[in-house]
Amino acid sequence: MDKVNQKDLILYSGLIILGLAAPFLFPGFKVQLTILCVLIVLAMTWNLQGGEMGYNTFGNILFYGLGMYLTASVQVGMFFPLAEWTESGGEKTFVHTTSQYFQGMGVGLLVAALVPTIIAGAIGYAILGLRGHYFAICTLGLGIAAGEIAGGIEIIGAGQGFTTPPFPKDIVDPGARGDFFYFLSFVLLIGTFVFIKWIYGSRFKLILNAIRDNEDKAEAMGIQTMKYKIVGWMVSAFFAGLAGGIMGGLIGYIDSTDVAFDGREMGVFMVLMAILGGKGTLWGPVIGATLFHFLKEGFWTLILGWQYVALGVLIVVIVIYFPEGLMGWLREKYPERFGEVIDEKDRKAQVELK
Amino acid sequence: MNKFTKLFITFISAITLMLSSMSSSFAKVDGEYIVLGAAISLTGKYSSNGVHTQNGYNLAVERINKMGGVEVQGKKYKFEIIYYDDESNPKRAAQLAERLINQDGVKYMLGPYSSGLTKAIAPVTEKYKIPMVEANGASRSLFTKGYKYLFAVLSPANQYLEVAIDLAVEKNGGKPVRIAQAFEQDAFSQDVRLGILDAAKRTGSEIIIDDKLPKELNDMAATLAKVKATKPDVLVVSGHTKGALTAIRQIAEMKVDVPMLAMTHCDAAKLSKQHGKKSEYALCASQWHKNLSYKDSFFGTGKKYDKDFKKEFGYAPPYQSAESSAALLVFKDAFERANSFDGDKVRDALKTTEMQTFYGNIKFGPGGQNTAKPMILFQVRCKGDTCENKVVAPTKWASDKFYHPIPKWSERS
Repeated sequence: MDKVNQKDLILYSGLIILGLAAPFLFPGFKVQLTILCVLIVLAMTWNLQGGEMGYNTFGNILFYGLGMYLTASVQVGMFFPLAEWTESGGEKTFVHTTSQYFQGMGVGLLVAALVPTIIAGAIGYAILGLRGHYFAICTLGLGIAAGEIAGGIEIIGAGQGFTTPPFPKDIVDPGARGDFFYFLSFVLLIGTFVFIKWIYGSRFKLILNAIRDNEDKAEAMGIQTMKYKIVGWMVSAFFAGLAGGIMGGLIGYIDSTDVAFDGREMGVFMVLMAILGGKGTLWGPVIGATLFHFLKEGFWTLILGWQYVALGVLIVVIVIYFPEGLMGWLREKYPERFGEVIDEKDRKAQVELK
Repeated sequence: MNKFTKLFITFISAITLMLSSMSSSFAKVDGEYIVLGAAISLTGKYSSNGVHTQNGYNLAVERINKMGGVEVQGKKYKFEIIYYDDESNPKRAAQLAERLINQDGVKYMLGPYSSGLTKAIAPVTEKYKIPMVEANGASRSLFTKGYKYLFAVLSPANQYLEVAIDLAVEKNGGKPVRIAQAFEQDAFSQDVRLGILDAAKRTGSEIIIDDKLPKELNDMAATLAKVKATKPDVLVVSGHTKGALTAIRQIAEMKVDVPMLAMTHCDAAKLSKQHGKKSEYALCASQWHKNLSYKDSFFGTGKKYDKDFKKEFGYAPPYQSAESSAALLVFKDAFERANSFDGDKVRDALKTTEMQTFYGNIKFGPGGQNTAKPMILFQVRCKGDTCENKVVAPTKWASDKFYHPIPKWSERS
């Protein structure tokens, strides 16, 4: 193992230890930490399109919301009639046993990962031919339409909303629910990060970049851009669906437009976080999401009533002073540490070519 | 150790320090204060009603504290409320409930505004066994989930306009009526809709238009065009404050003639003031009206409450404020009867609440809903240019006769 890798190893193990210890260090902040994990996942997956591929999508919220509804529906539907569960005013109360709850959650998350992926493939095939603003507007419509449609489907609660199964009563420790969702989201975060880091080392990422830089040239080089664009989107959908499933269980109540297909908040936040941290970088979305979450929570506590003004000012400041995001700024300032790494072998090969 | 690693470690330790200093939660009872927590919609689509709720809470806290506070085990305590802004967003509300309980150490909660947000918060308070008295979550499904720590001082949402349908049938000579209805896609309004469905079934009435309208209701012209074409006997609209305002505005603009118009949230929207004569004859469901003959020792009668509230906040209190104030009276009563700060003892005391407030009688049913208080209906009536809400049902409190049918627009001056 060479030196660079060793440094990475220290960093990663440090972060993982921190992540594992976090809920015990700050037991009061478990929910915020869980949401932080989910936010990072959303920012990283958005970055695959917006940052690497140059396709500014507002549609990733669709997969997030789908995942949320699917997880909850499967979790309920596996054991009880779903229609009776969601029918408002139903006098019956269904209670999941402990094993039912976790089984349902597991299968639900599986479905929440697969179905959005397939849907991303299908929709991607239809609309990834659009470019630039047209693609952005089209995907914006997707999220809004999904919210309105979900608000009309009775079996998932329609406008009444969908109360997800409560955490099993047999587990008496009130902290257990928080721990469960935190570690679930933490595992998802690690999974997403590892997968995306792997993509960063692969030819796939270079193709996405080629599409971003000049799609026509990429095609001229013989790359089937459509195929890669769709696969890229499917990857995002997979992780966004899982993130949604976890959030649904955590919040405990799904509303069609305010919680699930929440394009106005989550949909915009994921873009904002990626840009804040620096799009088109591996660490940018992670840093962006973390900073964003901290600032947002801080604003909410310290300047109640003015939080959105503060957030707006922050966005303006970022766009003016850090147009490339924090990572972009760091790269410019300290290129030797944060700049693109050129493989030694690669450089030597080029030298030899001369 | 290189610069980057140092920077990283500094960053992490800074955050750790910051968080650990913030975690130091203060207790449920802080010196002479009993700390209550509330997530309120100060921004977002429910912001106007959120403020009504907060004003109601604040007025009651001030009044109770001024009149000696809460006496527990021989010692006087004062109420204090920690507020957060939930932005009318259920996701945010659930998160804030966790925050109030875990970080701020709150042991007793007051409800947010709207059924949707209450639905999001109730699972959290239930999990931590935190008693919550809520004044603005009327959805029936809140009371069928078997929640043990949720208490609502209001009547469930399905009761809001059921009476209106009975009234329409009565005016129709006991024959079934044709109903047109339009409801916002939200937990509360959809529950009002269920109440209408029940009433329609019971009376054999027919529902000819059943529209769902988007949240943040700003336009319902399509529904009204259908109403114009089909001429139903009753038009029912519910969609919080914006729904009420939009309905009146567009009905007047489009000159829609319908014999009876039943709505919710007329007083929260200050219809009679904002739309004046345009809103005349609208029939509105309300949890409370100042003319009702209830009273208590803190606010006196409804009329007195109305006056005090006006003096403090500069507008007449809608029922959302009145019920919010009542929630505090319930908490005070429960603390004193429990004579303890133990969550479960307070909860048991809440369970056996039986009291009269200026807002009405309060007694909780098995699901936590208030079963001791009927809904009332008032109608907007105008004299010259000043319009007022007059109670028309139930007959016990009716100050005016129900005016039916609504005159056609062509006959209205």
